[in-house]
Amino acid sequence: MLELKNMTVRYGKHLAVDAVGFGLTKGEVVVVLGANGAGKSSMLKAIAGMIPVADGSVTLDGDLLTGVPAHQVTNRGIALVPEGRGVVGRMTVEENLRLGATPSRARASEDETIAQVFDIFPRLAERRRQFVHTMSGGEQQMVAVGRAMMSKPDFLLLDEPSLGLAPIVVGDLFKALARVRETGVGLLIVEQNVKISLRHADRGYLLEAGRITGSGTSEELMNDAAVRHAFLGGDI
Amino acid sequence: MLEHVVNGLVLGGTYALVAMGLTIQYGIARIMNLSFGDTIIAACFATYVLFTSLSISPILALLILVPSGYALSNVVYRVIMKPLVARAPDEGALEVDSILVTFGLLFVIQGILLYLFGGGYTSYSFFNTPINVLGTVVAGNRLLALVLSLMIGAALVIILFRTRWGMILRAVALAPKSAPLFGIDTDRAARTAFAIGGAIAATGGVVISMFQTFTATAGVVFTMKALIVVILGGKGSVPGAIVAGLLLGLVETFVAAYVDPGLTLAAVYTVFLLLLLVRPNGIFGKA
Ligand SMILES: Nc1ncnc2c1ncn2[C@@H]1O[C@H](COP(=O)(O)OP(=O)(O)OP(=O)(O)O)[C@@H](O)[C@H]1O
Ligand SMILES: [Mg+2]
Repeated sequence: MLELKNMTVRYGKHLAVDAVGFGLTKGEVVVVLGANGAGKSSMLKAIAGMIPVADGSVTLDGDLLTGVPAHQVTNRGIALVPEGRGVVGRMTVEENLRLGATPSRARASEDETIAQVFDIFPRLAERRRQFVHTMSGGEQQMVAVGRAMMSKPDFLLLDEPSLGLAPIVVGDLFKALARVRETGVGLLIVEQNVKISLRHADRGYLLEAGRITGSGTSEELMNDAAVRHAFLGGDI
Repeated sequence: MLEHVVNGLVLGGTYALVAMGLTIQYGIARIMNLSFGDTIIAACFATYVLFTSLSISPILALLILVPSGYALSNVVYRVIMKPLVARAPDEGALEVDSILVTFGLLFVIQGILLYLFGGGYTSYSFFNTPINVLGTVVAGNRLLALVLSLMIGAALVIILFRTRWGMILRAVALAPKSAPLFGIDTDRAARTAFAIGGAIAATGGVVISMFQTFTATAGVVFTMKALIVVILGGKGSVPGAIVAGLLLGLVETFVAAYVDPGLTLAAVYTVFLLLLLVRPNGIFGKA
């Protein structure tokens, strides 16, 4: 279980994430919806140890993650696919994937996991020798998710995976994520693309100006007036 | 003619080798090490002392000095560089800080060498046997220097491009911000890279001392040439450093032989400027 309690992130005086608290179990898909600047990326980066948590805590199965450096957080079983994907463009697909298995928890099963990644993303198997920066946005996002899977995470954090992708590509990506979830991984997705992310999530939260202002099952959120107003342009 | 080609390659091979060390330090640890040449000269003197007072051959000296270079650079990184890295708000600030600090380190190393050995030219005679290469005669020590440079350079390329360890170091160079997400300890990678650079500087010092005279104050010339090679090759590019190093060695040797020995540095700079006009990011550089 991944748990945030009153987690707060500050940039100087600016409060980016304000006492956020919720939990997530393995095999579950939770989406956090928020507009630009709501604090979505800050929240994920803080969980992953990329930026400091100013107040409150993050725990994984009861163990404190707050203050643990990012590379060790990865080794504890939390993988972040950041904004901008975080792949190494000037390396090949296979190098990126193998590099993803750097944490000691992932080493022994590296070949097994890579087979699993190729099974979910057959395109990556075809393109294993291609340099990532020469690939399309959708393919690069596959590399990013594949690389995160390579670290054998218990929880996968995804920062706006649909950003900049064509609707059909987004659909395929979320189908692939559903298969990742079937392997028992818990998914925490932050998104502005409400429709597709709620379709694939079990439940979700609303994040506004760093605070959680709403929560519910995907169905409840889909019919929620505030969500409709904020993201779907009024009453569609 | 052939003689100059061989001599040019010998010189160029050592330039390529030491430039690889500098480019690894800069590309991975983000430290522009201005004391790099003085580390080379320190290794030259260490080889000299081991050979002349303890009769330890330069080949054996490699086994002592290369690990020493690694270990000492590791300590220098922990003690001097790490605090800079920790406080630098961004890479640009780290570059400036590292230039200032290693500039100081340069004078510390140089001062110690001047105190110990004075400012005169130093050399020793090792494996001076003439060897016939395709019809021209070359000193054995020069040939050995070339072979060693090539072997160590090749080993380094294999490590960087064919092992997981090298892959991790390259990832830190190419994507420093994302590397922790791959589970890479970037701090350790930077320290390792800086130490590898020190080991290469030590290797370069041993090899160069086998066929060249050196002085306590010559470090800055080596730093400068290594810098030129690094920039010519494309910052952070190991293959670029090899090509640019060999090119520089050949240019120097040919200008010294056919034009005027006094013009070698001028020629080097001319090539440098001309190539940068055509390829501003270096031979293998990326925009
Ligand atoms: N490095 C930083 N320094 C200062 N302020 C920052 C920094 N990063 C983010 N912020 C601020 O924190 C707030 C939350 O930013 P964050 O990037 O987490 O939002 P977001 O929900 O991911 O937005 P987007 O949808 O645009 O990606 C914003 O007001 C932003 O300006
Ligand atoms: Mg964001």
